[in-house]
Amino acid sequence: MHILAIEGLTKRFPTVTALDRLTVTAGPGVTGLVGANGAGKSTLIKILLGLLPVSEGRATVLGLDAFTQGAEIRRLVGYMPEHECLPPDVSATELVVHLARMSGLPRTAARERAADVLRHVGLAEERYRPIGGYSTGMKQRVKLAQALVHDPKLIFLDEPTNGLDPRGRDEMLTLIRRIGTEFGISVLVTSHLLGELERVCDHVIVIDAGRLLRSSALTEFTQATESITVEVEEGADALAGRLAELGQTVSPLGRTLLVEVRGPETYDAVRDAAADLDLCLIRLEQGRQRIEDVFREEAARV
Amino acid sequence: MSEIYDIGYRHYDGPRLGRAHTTLALGVHSLRGVFGLGRPARSKIMPFSLAAVMMFPVVVSIAMMALVQQRLGDYSGYAVVMQAVIAIFLASQSPTVVAPDLRHRVLPLYLSRPVTIAEYVGAKVAAMTVAMFLLVAVPLTVMFIGDLLVDLPGPPPTGEYLGAVAMAAVLSVLLSTIGLALAALTPRRGLGVASVITVYLLSTGAAPMIFAALYSTGHDAAAAWAWLINPFWLVDAVQAGLFGTTQHIPEGSYPGGPVPALIVLALIAAAVAVLAARYRKAAAQ
Ligand SMILES: Nc1ncnc2c1ncn2[C@@H]1O[C@H](COP(=O)(O)OP(=O)(O)O)[C@@H](O)[C@H]1O
Ligand SMILES: [Mg+2]
Repeated sequence: MHILAIEGLTKRFPTVTALDRLTVTAGPGVTGLVGANGAGKSTLIKILLGLLPVSEGRATVLGLDAFTQGAEIRRLVGYMPEHECLPPDVSATELVVHLARMSGLPRTAARERAADVLRHVGLAEERYRPIGGYSTGMKQRVKLAQALVHDPKLIFLDEPTNGLDPRGRDEMLTLIRRIGTEFGISVLVTSHLLGELERVCDHVIVIDAGRLLRSSALTEFTQATESITVEVEEGADALAGRLAELGQTVSPLGRTLLVEVRGPETYDAVRDAAADLDLCLIRLEQGRQRIEDVFREEAARV
Repeated sequence: MSEIYDIGYRHYDGPRLGRAHTTLALGVHSLRGVFGLGRPARSKIMPFSLAAVMMFPVVVSIAMMALVQQRLGDYSGYAVVMQAVIAIFLASQSPTVVAPDLRHRVLPLYLSRPVTIAEYVGAKVAAMTVAMFLLVAVPLTVMFIGDLLVDLPGPPPTGEYLGAVAMAAVLSVLLSTIGLALAALTPRRGLGVASVITVYLLSTGAAPMIFAALYSTGHDAAAAWAWLINPFWLVDAVQAGLFGTTQHIPEGSYPGGPVPALIVLALIAAAVAVLAARYRKAAAQ
């Protein structure tokens, strides 16, 4: 069964076409929706929640029509917005209990569910303190908890890793994977970074300027995008030359170098090259290729 | 065995209540918020101090009835006499009902649930209306109970009391829709308080000034309309028209006929329209 079925969906704002005849489907599990800023990801989610009218086309969510059965859909799905949306002067517990009741849970059930999901997202004692004092990572967890509290069949996570440090990002991604597997809740998660979604998704949809660029199971993606980002204090050009000599595929990207991963020998090559040239390595990061570059690569290949 | 097991994720298969329940829960939650219940102690100071001030004439009135067999004032004039306190309550508490959700963009968390924007706004207006009504009707009722217990000579003023309570309901709808509309347009709490109090002070200050200006230039009939600029005198005019009660104005008299009542309805409609427009815009973001 399709969790999402989108057919010829077009959304025009007065000055911009946010979605342009988009046709795509997604099954159960974790689906990544990837696109650069302004690609139309958030717009698509709002349409799927039945909150935004469309110009043309149709969309179903869990078999329900997004334009006529929005209320039923909103009963069955959870939504984590991309922007900040938490009142600072209430505690996580109070907020999540209240929002559980707004999803129709009776008072006692709302309390139990809120305690459960806050534990699952990893908020401990701090959940009794006002949200205003939380770190970005904790706030993202509260946003995730409120999306899960009514035990939805499907959740929409709009840029859940935004603003997180690398460790917070990893934890959030691990949590998303658990939601899709252990919790048995289907997930549609957006990001402007393809690399980070590779780790957690079963399926990835790439859109650009509201158009479908690609929709495929994860395995097809990985080869094309497995790369590492290398940043040195200075001497990037020398390093690029040296890596090329060592048989690696290198492309400069701003102040950084993108090195295609062939296998463990790629990491050795980076290490050796940096050591040989006596360069100060300040960043070595896996799979954080920006989606724009995938487009550039694909466009270059066509 | 005393180990704690991680029982893993549990699904929820209990009841999911309908939208009537949800809206009621939101209304009750907002009403508690107006009085600072379930909030830190400092949130309770303002509403409860003002509610206590509202009881002050009640206590004096009951004491006077018991000791010197006289009423301090009439039931129908209570809201007009206490208007400054009621206006301060409206100004200080309206922002707590609408401002945080707008300012911190919490609305999407509601709208991605079965709650509709109309139910959300309806629950907020209902909560503020009930709060305003309690603020005025509870002291009136306590005063009336005191009146019955003291049992002054002559029949108890039951009709006037009931009329005053009915007018308290009308006043509450009028004030809360206007107060929430102003607070929703200025989602920073301080500004919200200031805007409501400014509108009240302007209406209160302008009414006697315009009255005097028109009266002294011989426009007596037109001058009567000046009082209706202030919402408390406006509702007092409706009350006087309906029940023939005293007109609680410094001088002159209200215009008669159905127009004051129509103005009340028009103001409520306008405030609701402003709220609807404000929230439609917020929902589209
Ligand atoms: N309410 C709106 N009014 C006008 N234009 C909008 C509105 N919302 C989004 N857009 C435009 O639609 C395009 C897609 O936006 P969005 O869905 O937010 O992209 P993404 O989430 O992928 O970054 C952008 O060009 C954006 O400026
Ligand atoms: Mg977005």
